[in-house]
Amino acid sequence: MKVDVKSLGTFNRLAHEGAEQATASLCQMTGLDAVVDVTKITLVNRADVGDQLSDGDYVGVQFEFDGELAGDTVLVFDRSGSETIVDSLVPGGAEDDAMARSSVEEIGNIMMSGFIDGWADFLETTIEHSPPTYVEGDGAAMLPEPPNDEERDQVFVFKSEIEWIGESVSFYIYMFPEYDPLADVMARTGGTEDDAIPIDKLEVFNEMTKDGTQQAAANVEMMTGIETEAEVTRLSFAPIEDVPKQVGTDTYVGTVVEFTGIPSGFLLVLFDEASAVHIAEAMMPVEMDEDELTDQHKSAIEELGNIMTSGFVDGWANVLQTSVEHTPPRLVHDMGQAIVDPLAAQVGQHQEHAFIIDSEMRTDDIEFGAEIHALPNEKELRQALDELLVERADETQADVEKIF
Amino acid sequence: MSDVLIADDSEFMRNLLREILEEDHNIVGEVENGVEAVETYKEQHPDLVMMDIVMPIRDGIEATDEIKNSNPDANVIMCTSVGQEEKMKEAVRAGADGYITKPFQKPSVMEAIEDVVPS
Repeated sequence: MKVDVKSLGTFNRLAHEGAEQATASLCQMTGLDAVVDVTKITLVNRADVGDQLSDGDYVGVQFEFDGELAGDTVLVFDRSGSETIVDSLVPGGAEDDAMARSSVEEIGNIMMSGFIDGWADFLETTIEHSPPTYVEGDGAAMLPEPPNDEERDQVFVFKSEIEWIGESVSFYIYMFPEYDPLADVMARTGGTEDDAIPIDKLEVFNEMTKDGTQQAAANVEMMTGIETEAEVTRLSFAPIEDVPKQVGTDTYVGTVVEFTGIPSGFLLVLFDEASAVHIAEAMMPVEMDEDELTDQHKSAIEELGNIMTSGFVDGWANVLQTSVEHTPPRLVHDMGQAIVDPLAAQVGQHQEHAFIIDSEMRTDDIEFGAEIHALPNEKELRQALDELLVERADETQADVEKIF
Repeated sequence: MSDVLIADDSEFMRNLLREILEEDHNIVGEVENGVEAVETYKEQHPDLVMMDIVMPIRDGIEATDEIKNSNPDANVIMCTSVGQEEKMKEAVRAGADGYITKPFQKPSVMEAIEDVVPS
């Protein structure tokens, strides 16, 4: 199977329009106001699919669909958001469990029929779907088992985030297409051969990125003594204008570097503010009794960002047998979207869509979280993947002793 | 006791290296970029330069090349976060005598220095 940029762009637009149609149905029924914020297509390890929902309490509905495209789709509300929706349909209905459940099922049925119908219309076929199955709980309970394909550890996930205007509530539409029907549809709707990336190379690239994240986590642990684990790594595809939204509106401290070579682009290492203070203190030779970031803290974070960046990109360079240069790190301290906006604008001068690489790391010891986001030039990434020798995928580490 | 020049754009890393080295070595200077590294080398003629690679204005490989051209007997250890094979080969071509990747522990730094500038 080859994945081509034209197909990904078309599928992304379809999923986005489907989510807009589903959201319009919801708004019409409830009188609430909501907009589709981001739609992205992600290639992710099946074990990590539910990670984003792991900490919350959710309700929703699942459907199976079958036809030229087949798979599962899920509509996910956080529980308090669903109660507001139910109350807007049936005042006081959220108090009655059976009524609440029935309302969510019916809302889901109407919303998701619109979502699936959009795909059927595009493919000029019919896609059947099952009656809704009510689900509740955390991420593992909300999402279906990904398509059973023992040959593949990674699955495509289509995900839309819908923001509820005036409320701090979001809901999500997930779609998990089965691999073979998706491959057939992509082959039919694909662009030119120049656009195509063999799926095995994308998967290898995703694995290399995971290795890079693990190396970056190991570097954090060595520099701070904080036991750190790489958690999730995703390769996503989204319209360039949606990229800043994915980082969100929380405030981050971190570093930005521009890298050049094949591929070129930007790499961000971001810590939430509390993590930044914790980690900088852990790196200081003398413990500092400060809650605010001092110049010394900032210098420590800058250097950590530098070392994490290298841990992340060196593996690409070694596997591709090239060098990836990067600028010295620039410290950033701002709202996530404000950090990413100018970078996306720069990358967007040459492309409409972007591959985005997201990694997260966490620790149980102290409050600590870090994210790595890479925004490579799409054409150059395709060129790099074209040159990638799958059999060199494990050659991420260089041996200094051999060279010196 | 060897005279050592530290070239790194990170204040944090210069402090860390100074703390590791100052017990056994004489730190003759700390600079933030490749241009300052070359100038300070030519003024001080230290026994050893601990040279970062990714620095503003002029990177550490270019600076190493210039130092080695001015004095082939100069001793330079690259001390960098970059772990790319091609970059290591570039460092060899520039004349670097050793290569340490960050993050590092004191023993690995002392071992690399002992290899290049035996006490």
